[in-house]
Amino acid sequence: MHKTLCYGIAALALAVGMGGASALTLDEVKSAGYVQGATANEVPYGYMKEDGTAAGIGPDVAIAVFKRMGINEVNWTVTPFGTLIPGLKARRFAFAAAEQNISPERCKQVTFTEPNSSYGEGLLVKKGNPKKLTTYADIAKDPSLKVAVVSGANNIDFLRAVGVKDNQIIIIQANADALSTVQTRADAYAATELTVSKLAEGGKDVEQVKPFTDPVVNGKPVRNYGGFAFRPEDKDLYDAFNKALVEFRKTDDYKKILTSYGLSEESIKAAAAKNVADLCAGK
Amino acid sequence: MTWIQYLAPLLKGAQITIVISLASIALGGIIAFVAGIARISSNPILSGIAFTYIALFRGTPLLVQLFWFYYALPLIGISFDPITTGIMTLSLLTGAFGAEVVRGALLAVPPAQHEAARALNFSKSYTLWHISMPQAIIEMMPAFGNLAIQNLKDTALVSLISIADLTFQAQSLRNITLDSATVYTLTLLGYFIIALFLMFIMRFIEMKLRRGAAFPRDAHS
Repeated sequence: MHKTLCYGIAALALAVGMGGASALTLDEVKSAGYVQGATANEVPYGYMKEDGTAAGIGPDVAIAVFKRMGINEVNWTVTPFGTLIPGLKARRFAFAAAEQNISPERCKQVTFTEPNSSYGEGLLVKKGNPKKLTTYADIAKDPSLKVAVVSGANNIDFLRAVGVKDNQIIIIQANADALSTVQTRADAYAATELTVSKLAEGGKDVEQVKPFTDPVVNGKPVRNYGGFAFRPEDKDLYDAFNKALVEFRKTDDYKKILTSYGLSEESIKAAAAKNVADLCAGK
Repeated sequence: MTWIQYLAPLLKGAQITIVISLASIALGGIIAFVAGIARISSNPILSGIAFTYIALFRGTPLLVQLFWFYYALPLIGISFDPITTGIMTLSLLTGAFGAEVVRGALLAVPPAQHEAARALNFSKSYTLWHISMPQAIIEMMPAFGNLAIQNLKDTALVSLISIADLTFQAQSLRNITLDSATVYTLTLLGYFIIALFLMFIMRFIEMKLRRGAAFPRDAHS
């Protein structure tokens, strides 16, 4: 019996060592007539409406860009934020449209398009802000405070960078958990500006910290630049999409999508001013 | 949005949950018999394979199995769509637990009956299918009923591999409405109603089996 077990493990090890599949090209997508996209459940960056269609900054822009490329159908999958990159690598979908921040770590795993949006940070607290928080660094000052973040989101890096300890951090699975968490287990919820403002609109007993000072990391206030993620091997599809996206960013239709989800004129300008190569290099 | 408006997406999710649950219970049942019988076979290779399979699937968490089949296996070029992955993983898990139920019930048949069968020169397979199994299968039913309901509840995990089941729809609704209390209450009710149906189906099968020709009604009362 032990021998059988050994053979089984050996076969498994052999299987894991084998190679992957080939790249997805623009022609393949065009002849299929549709493309498979993914988003995370995060209002307003990307989410599934109750009728099952995708909406949000990422999906809306992606649909418009693919239309310009002659691909009229995007099949959407909603997956937890932390599984966007694993799902992309496992070829579950062709791209991720969740306005993921273009960071050097993520650039090692996937290829990002030019930025599609930019956004600052935010904090959600109990009504009246009883702990008088104004920025992430305030949480580091008092070790008894707890702060919640969504699994896989980069807010945790900013929290750590300003000195918040790991035992102060509560990991939650989705933004929808933030409301009950802030009212019970945590003193604050750290997320992007827009996410926090959407949650504050919906919850009666919570509010967004205002005025909020963006955390300062490496001597400058942090700002996120969200882009679309593709697999590095699907270069052909990526190039075509990226080119169409840069063109689309110059149009009024593009601005209309972003402003309709609450993004400011400055944030739209800031996104266009940065390029993906610098962001991946950590500049 | 009121709770009435939550029902349409939740019912859509419930359909997927029912499909995945019934498919994996049926498939898991078949696997349970194959693996359970192989496990008590006198052939060491057959029983070794069954032992390894049961040990692997009973000894690892379903969530990790799902992630492994969904996110890790495609990296080596083997990929199934989400529904297939979900049904396959759940069947394999339920089959592993079911195999032990099958094995236990078959071993519970008194050895004197095997001796009698051998004395009458019945073949091994005739003894299994006509002597042991008809008695053992009824003993398996309460445990299978448990497994079926456990399987239904385990289907909630497939929402994490992007299948739009009942739990997935509940999460999406919460994300839009931020109304956790109502959404989760309705979701619990949904699972409970499906579970009641499953209990009913399993009872029905058990009753049918008890009334088989080989069984006088008072034999197991």
